[in-house]
Amino acid sequence: METYFLRAENLLSLYEHINQEYELFVPIKTKTPFKVKCEYGFNLPSDDYLLKRFSEVKKEDIVFSEYRAVEPTRAFFTHFKEEIGRYFESQEGKGAQKPLAICGIKNCDIFSLKIQDYVFLQGNEEDALYKERRAQALIISGDCPSFKEACFCRAFEINPHVTEGFDLNLSPINDGYLLDVASDKARKMVDGIKNILTPANAGQLSGRAAKRDSVIKRMEEHLSCHKIPKKDTLQDIVLSGYNSQVWNEQMRTCVECGGCVFMCDTCHCFLLTDDVKEGSPRRVRIWDGCLYKNFSRVAGGANPLRMRYMRLRNRYLKKFDFFISNLGFQACCGCGRCIDVCPGRIDIRYILRRLYEEKHIPAHSG
Amino acid sequence: MKKNIYLPIQAKIEEIKEETPAIKTFVLKLEEEFSFRTGQFIELTIPGLGEAPFTPSSDPSVKERIDVTIMNVGAVTSRLHEMKPKEVLGVRGPYGKGYPLDKFTGKDILIVGGGVGLAPLRSLLFSLFSQIDNYNKVVLCYGARTPKDIVYKESLPSWAKLKNTEVRVTVDTGDPSWKGNVGLVTTILKDLPIDMAKAVSIVCGPPIMMKFATLKLLELGFNPRDIYLSMEKNMSCGLGKCGHCRIGKFYACKDGPVFSYEDLKDIYDIWD
Repeated sequence: METYFLRAENLLSLYEHINQEYELFVPIKTKTPFKVKCEYGFNLPSDDYLLKRFSEVKKEDIVFSEYRAVEPTRAFFTHFKEEIGRYFESQEGKGAQKPLAICGIKNCDIFSLKIQDYVFLQGNEEDALYKERRAQALIISGDCPSFKEACFCRAFEINPHVTEGFDLNLSPINDGYLLDVASDKARKMVDGIKNILTPANAGQLSGRAAKRDSVIKRMEEHLSCHKIPKKDTLQDIVLSGYNSQVWNEQMRTCVECGGCVFMCDTCHCFLLTDDVKEGSPRRVRIWDGCLYKNFSRVAGGANPLRMRYMRLRNRYLKKFDFFISNLGFQACCGCGRCIDVCPGRIDIRYILRRLYEEKHIPAHSG
Repeated sequence: MKKNIYLPIQAKIEEIKEETPAIKTFVLKLEEEFSFRTGQFIELTIPGLGEAPFTPSSDPSVKERIDVTIMNVGAVTSRLHEMKPKEVLGVRGPYGKGYPLDKFTGKDILIVGGGVGLAPLRSLLFSLFSQIDNYNKVVLCYGARTPKDIVYKESLPSWAKLKNTEVRVTVDTGDPSWKGNVGLVTTILKDLPIDMAKAVSIVCGPPIMMKFATLKLLELGFNPRDIYLSMEKNMSCGLGKCGHCRIGKFYACKDGPVFSYEDLKDIYDIWD
């Protein structure tokens, strides 16, 4: 991996260069209409970032995002609703689009892509459409110099900066960015703009390391009051907490909007269904979510997840039992998108803490 | 572009047999090469409407056509029941692992079916009958709600005449013409002509029937590892991707739909 220094005023030139070959998405800042109050000291930002087409935003609105965007990264690789084929027709000649370049990806998103890759690329058969999009995409990640109140990646030992799974990475330093070039695709890309890059020097690299350490330290202080259980306890506590009251209790404010599953970057469930477009039937894939009542209903009417608390519990069993059993790690990256989106203020950090305390601190049980 | 794993191959309805007022067997001719192992399932597609999972009920060694026995219960199945021969459907699959025939060799095989759950078992029976000398004994215990609800009415007596094979049928509620046993399928799981030390059992039917049949089999002394269950879940993709059919750390579509009870017994609420 090579690391260069890019002056702040040259960031747009880098974007313009990438946008020639790719459909580039960049972060813009959006004012959140409400403030998230943090009750224990830190004054944390509450603004959000959205990823928009470079070609469609005002250049002065483009920012370096300080933490993950609102939308889950998976939305670039499987769309909320999309046609995935027409019946009994040749499928050739489709899918020839400009590849994606996505800027503003954070390490939580990179972690989540490991789950999506497992689902769509491994197992019995691979999803050709996902594979094509994923293989062509240029992942432009960035360090998190800050974090939101809902962010909790470090609770699961995920860092707020990347070490793998990206093509290019931007780390903000004093008067510009360090640019890591980690893949052949990325090397080919920067070849054309070597004039605006200089090799990073030792001072810049150690400056970045110090910044990264300081964000981790600040975040761990922020997380200490949440008492989120460690990742190696997760499977055990969701299984032993099967009959816990916490599921029912926390579901009381759920309005079944499905926000938590759709904003989640590690959720992947979908429904294969059909509709008719221009007179011909087509196969459609729509994101589905296990918080919806009919998620597990069968034609005869039986529904293993008929109650809301069963559906909430199912979500945790999937993330912390199923994936840990099958993949070796949990399907939660600590991005906190589910916390931000929930109108019922259902908080995954609190539920995990409760499950842990019910198991390990006897006074909390029952 | 590579193969689209979500699209079916074309199949034409050749023949439709009415088994009961609510159950029909569709004989499908496939337009492309297709084969399945007994117990594997397919997704049957009505283009423009959707799909539903079924386990073929025919002999897997017959390649040209497959039988699918279907009860009219949902959106896809009710439309299927209105269909006529020559209409076009789609078939995706086969999916899942099917019955582990290699583990049945030399064993006494007890097959417990309920209602339309006899459909996958019919495919299994054909596989067993074709190599009957590999197995010590085949006992089929089948329960239906009423005599009218019994599927494969013509086949049952002929299976009973086969070598090393016994067939028992019961109904929950009889009618004046019914001379056989009346009672749940568990009532005919007694005095079984099988040697428990070398027996396996295969159960398929509605969840409530599977639950009580399994409890009965355990009571009779079956080892959980020798009880095989066909789990009913709402498999949508069949490929272990869509997430609908999770049972504990398994997906019914990929790791099942046939599981040994040993694999399921520690998972909560499997009969729901």
